[in-house]
This record gives sequence, structure tokens and C-alpha cells, in this order.
Amino acid sequence: MAVIDVSMTDAPRETTVARATQERRAAWALTAPALILMVIVLLAPVIIAGLLSFTNYSLGNSGFDWVGADNYEKLFTRSTYEKMFIATLTYVVTVVPLSVGLGLGAALLINTLGRFREIYKTIYFLPVMATLLAMAIAWEFMLHPSIGMINRTLEATCGTPFEVVPFIANGCADRFPLWLGDKRYAIWVICFIGIWQGFGFNMVLYLAGLTSVHRELYHAAEMDGAKSAWDRFRLVTWPALGPTTVFVVTISCIRAFQVFDTIEAFWPQGGGPNKSTYVMMFAIFEKGIQQNLIGIGSAITMLFLAFVMFLTLIQRWLVERKVHYK
Amino acid sequence: MAGLSIENVTKRFGETEVLKGVSLDIADGEFVSLVGPSGCGKSTLLRIIAGLETQGAGSVRIGGTPVEDQRAADRNLSMVFQSYALYPHLTVGENIAVPLRMRRLNGVQRLPLVGGLMPGTRAVAREIGQHVADAATMLEIGHLLDRKPGQLSGGQRQRVALGRALVRDPAAFLLDEPLSNLDAKLRVQTRAEIAQLHRRLAATFVYVTHDQVEAMTMSDRIAVMMGGRILQCAPPDVVYEDPDRIEVAEFIGSPKINILPLEILPDGRLSLQDRALDLAVVEGARGVASLGLRPEALRLKSGDSPLRGRVVHSENLGSEMFVQIDVADLQERITLRATPEQRGALALGTPVALDFDLHKALIFDADGARIRRLRHLNAAASEVA
Repeated sequence: MAVIDVSMTDAPRETTVARATQERRAAWALTAPALILMVIVLLAPVIIAGLLSFTNYSLGNSGFDWVGADNYEKLFTRSTYEKMFIATLTYVVTVVPLSVGLGLGAALLINTLGRFREIYKTIYFLPVMATLLAMAIAWEFMLHPSIGMINRTLEATCGTPFEVVPFIANGCADRFPLWLGDKRYAIWVICFIGIWQGFGFNMVLYLAGLTSVHRELYHAAEMDGAKSAWDRFRLVTWPALGPTTVFVVTISCIRAFQVFDTIEAFWPQGGGPNKSTYVMMFAIFEKGIQQNLIGIGSAITMLFLAFVMFLTLIQRWLVERKVHYK
Repeated sequence: MAGLSIENVTKRFGETEVLKGVSLDIADGEFVSLVGPSGCGKSTLLRIIAGLETQGAGSVRIGGTPVEDQRAADRNLSMVFQSYALYPHLTVGENIAVPLRMRRLNGVQRLPLVGGLMPGTRAVAREIGQHVADAATMLEIGHLLDRKPGQLSGGQRQRVALGRALVRDPAAFLLDEPLSNLDAKLRVQTRAEIAQLHRRLAATFVYVTHDQVEAMTMSDRIAVMMGGRILQCAPPDVVYEDPDRIEVAEFIGSPKINILPLEILPDGRLSLQDRALDLAVVEGARGVASLGLRPEALRLKSGDSPLRGRVVHSENLGSEMFVQIDVADLQERITLRATPEQRGALALGTPVALDFDLHKALIFDADGARIRRLRHLNAAASEVA
């Protein structure tokens, strides 16, 4: 009896175990191509860069020495890198809130339009579609201290009531800023171009987000006594745009950390007047590519990666915890 | 609490005229349903009362005061939306509190953190909390107050929407198809609960629905709307038994009323299927007319009758039975209400003859208006044939 019992219960169990093993193998076989590609294209380079950041390797050299944390120590002690952090953070902290805010504002305004919606959408989105490098050259002409359109325009206001503005009064008395040649202005010009170029993209994302706001919620808010536009925005629009905002802010941050084109176009040699626009991406390019200091270039890259990783983790946490209202 | 008065309200969206001069008086504490097929303008009328749409012409008064120059937020009305329109980022308790917070706290007091420091905020907040708790207890959703709407079932959301409407003391409640997203069983249950709520609050309710059963079971009066007009506004039993127009008779009642073609002979006598009935009109045009017969007005009969046909379909609901009969020369089938005991005589394909009570016959003229002035030619025998 006992023998029969065992064989009767075990036989089906064995086949299910066998089937499960087979399914597991098939699953691995099917994911293998993707996994291999991911390792080759993404993980391996990151790990190699991580390892290189502890060496003094240069391209073309037959060997290298392990230098420990020397590269990282340099990053946190040398004044060049201090300038790099200041420039990068100034850029991120200025461009992200302003481009997100302007994007939201433009989206809200366009959303109330009936007829000219598409025209405005296109106008604001044009800078996004244009190549930033080409746009940078156009900006360079406009910002030229003597023949540039901007200073010419400012000069034209001399002798008019506009002179009450101290900036214009000073400019007329002495001269208008050199813009790209002045270390006080250079980073702000870069920020301005970054915002001008980027907010159209955020606007489009917000416009998409706005279409998902339930119309009846606005009616409910009105019935509930939300009289001002600000009340309706606080009660309905802003919460509904939560997921969009998390995405927009993350994307804007990552894009802001990546700023490179304008700086490379304006100052191919060296990151702006007195290194005032020496942002991380440019530093990686200069150290790793131009000066062939792979070790220090890798160290900056790892730091860059850490920032982006940190932002992504915050985004995931926010998305899961708060903004989906589940 | 207050009554509502709507006078000659019109509304057009572009070329389409949605409301063609609607007038309706709703007494304080009355439950009035606006019922009609989709696109008849009932929701538009409700939204005009609410102030969410502006009327083309005409006036709306709440408690005797004209409200044309008041925006929705100032009209002191509560509304329950078809989609419930709960704020997804707020908890149930916060959702219910919104109408009170918006009205009793000013902009600064409503700010997070800073608001709590303003004088008076705490006392008002405590008061609001008490009102929310009361409303939640009334609707039995006290245990849900800390959940988000996304975590609730349809029925629970519906209660939260009701809670948000009744947490303050509005002049009237406006309900826009509040039950249409619920499943059938829950709908029947909630129907009874809303009716009870109305009795308890003794408040004015305006209830929009396309479901005539909801309108019949809950309302003090039903306003049947079609094509941008109110065709009839009367208590449910009057609308059912004594409709003013053929459209009303057809819309109210399930299964639908049977409409048979009728001819008014030159002497005023009515003729059905070329047989004269013992019924005549007193005045008005001669010619084509219609006869409306509710399924319960029809009876089975043995022998001769103008209505003869075959059973083509039957539905036994347990307590009653609806039988569809295909009568020769008639385009539409006739529905008869029978008792389940009669099913032996009503097998599919059985030839049957039908008979009806002339006093229950509803006569409509060619335009669909009801002809009420009738003369019974044979007062003693009111049967047909």
C-alpha cells in the first residue's frame, strides 16, 4: 500500500519539477541576448570606467599604475574642480526650476487657447528641434560685444527713458557687458540659452499631462467653492500633473547635467572666462579626450553617473510613493 | 434649503438648440427627477441650475433670488457627478472636507504649515473635522476616511461623493446620473439609500437620470424631457397612468407600452383593425390616431377579437411573465403581462386572442397629444367586441 501511495504522488510531482526546470531554462535562453547586450554595451563600460578611475592610464600607453583614490582626491581638492562643481550646480539649480516653471506656465496658457494653440506650440518648440550647436553659433553672433544685435539694441536705448534702469545707465556711461568674455555673465548666458532651448520640451510634456486632467474635476472644484484660478490650480491641476512633474524635473536635471554643446561652441579651449562655465561634461571631454588623462576623466564620469543615479532613484521613489495616488 | 424656479430657459451649442424654453418649479424639500433619453438636454439643464453653464435666455431662481449674476461657487448648491469627480490626491476625509475648507478658511489659512499658525485656523479645522465625521457616520464610511479614492470600490466612491455634497448645508442637491457607474445590485440598494437620505435631510433634490426606473422609484415628481423640452412633469404614478403625450407613455414603463394604429371614423368612433370600438372622441380631428395599451391592460380571451396573433417570445420573471405576441397587420409585437400560472396557454407558437379594458386605453392623436375627452358608447359593457 505504502509503495503504491508513494509512486502515485511522486510521479506527477517529478513531471512538474521537470517542467519547471525546462521553463526556467527557456526563460534564461530567451533573455540571454538582451542580457549579453546589456552587459557589453552598458555594464562593462561602466565597470571599466570605474576601474580606470583608480589608475593613471592614458590611451596608447602599454601599461598603467594603480593610483588608489588619487584621482578622486584631486577632484575634491583642486580649485579647477571646485569651479567645475560650482559651474555645474549653478547651471542645474538655475535651469531646472526655470525651464520647468516656464514649461508649465506656457502649457497652462496654451491650454486655455482655442485657435492659435498650434502656432504657439510650434513657436515654443522650435528651439528644441534646432541643433544646439548651430543655435550656439547664432547666439555667439548676437552676443558679440561690439557688432552683436543685443548690445546694439541696448545702445539704442541710451538717451531714452530706459536709462532709469541702472544696468542700462551703467552700460551707456561705460560700455555694455562682454557677455561671453565676462566671467560674471558667461554662466548666466549659458543658463539663459539652456532655458530658452529646453522649456519648449517641458511645455510639450506638460501639455500632454494636461490632457489627462479630468474636466469634471474642475466643475467639482467650482461647486466646492474654489473660486480663484490659484485655488483650482492647487486643488486640481497641480496634483493631477504630479507624475508629469516628477518626470519633467528628472529629465530636465539629467539634461542640465549633460550641458556641453554651447560651452564647446563658445569656448573650445577651456571652459569660459576664468573657468566660470567649466561644467562636468566639458571637464570629462577636456581631461579624458583632449588631454588624454583617462584616469581623471573616468573619475569625473563616475561622479557624473552617481549624480544621475541619485536623481533616478529619487524619481522612482517619488513615483512609487506619492504621485500616483494609489 | 430652498426651492428652485426655472423659467423659459434656452440653450444652444453652436447650431444645435439643446433647450427650447424650459420652465420648472421645484418646491422646497421636493425630489424632482429629470428623465429622458440621452441628448434630451437634462444634464445641460442641471448644469445651468448649478451655474456650470450659462443659459441663452430665461431665468433661474434659487429660493426666490435670481442667480444669473452668481457664479457656481456662490450659488450654495451641492452636486454629485456621474464620474464622482473625487480629488485623487486627497484622502476620503480630505475630499469631504474640501467644500468646508474652501468656504470657511481663507487662502492663507489653507496653505500647508503656514496656515496652521494663523489665528483661528485650528478652531475652524476642528469644526470641519466634526462635520466630516458626522457626514461619514451618516453614510457609513467612517472607516474609509484615511484611504485614497483609488483604493475604493465604485460604491464606496459614490458614497464619498455624496458625503462631499452633504457635508455642508446647501440650498439644493443636484445629482447627475450618480448611479450609472454602479452594478445593477448596488444600484438598487443605493437608490433606496438616496431616497432615505432625501427623507432624512428634507432637502431639495434635483436628480438627472436616463433610467426611468430610478426616476419612478425615488421621485416626488418626474419631469420627462425630450428634444430640449419638458413634456410632462407630474408624480410618478400620474406620469405612468395618465401621460400627456405618446413620447412620455413610450419612455416611462418597462416593458414599453404597446402602441397600436387607430382610426377615428367620421362620426368620432374609434376603429381598431377595421373594427369599431365602443369608444368615441368628443371633438377634434378625424383620421389617424394611436392607441396605447400597457402590458397589464391586456388580457387573454377566448373567441373573437380584433387582436389575434401567435406567441413568439416569453420571459418568465418568476412573479410575472411578459409574452410577446405577433399580431398580423401590425409592425410591432404586442407585449402582454401574464401570471406564470397561465404559461400553459402561452407556449411558443400558440395562437391567442387579446382583449383589453377600454378605461385603461390611452388615445393619442396624430401629433402624439393625448385625447382625454372620450365617450363610452356602451357604458355597461366596456369590453372590446
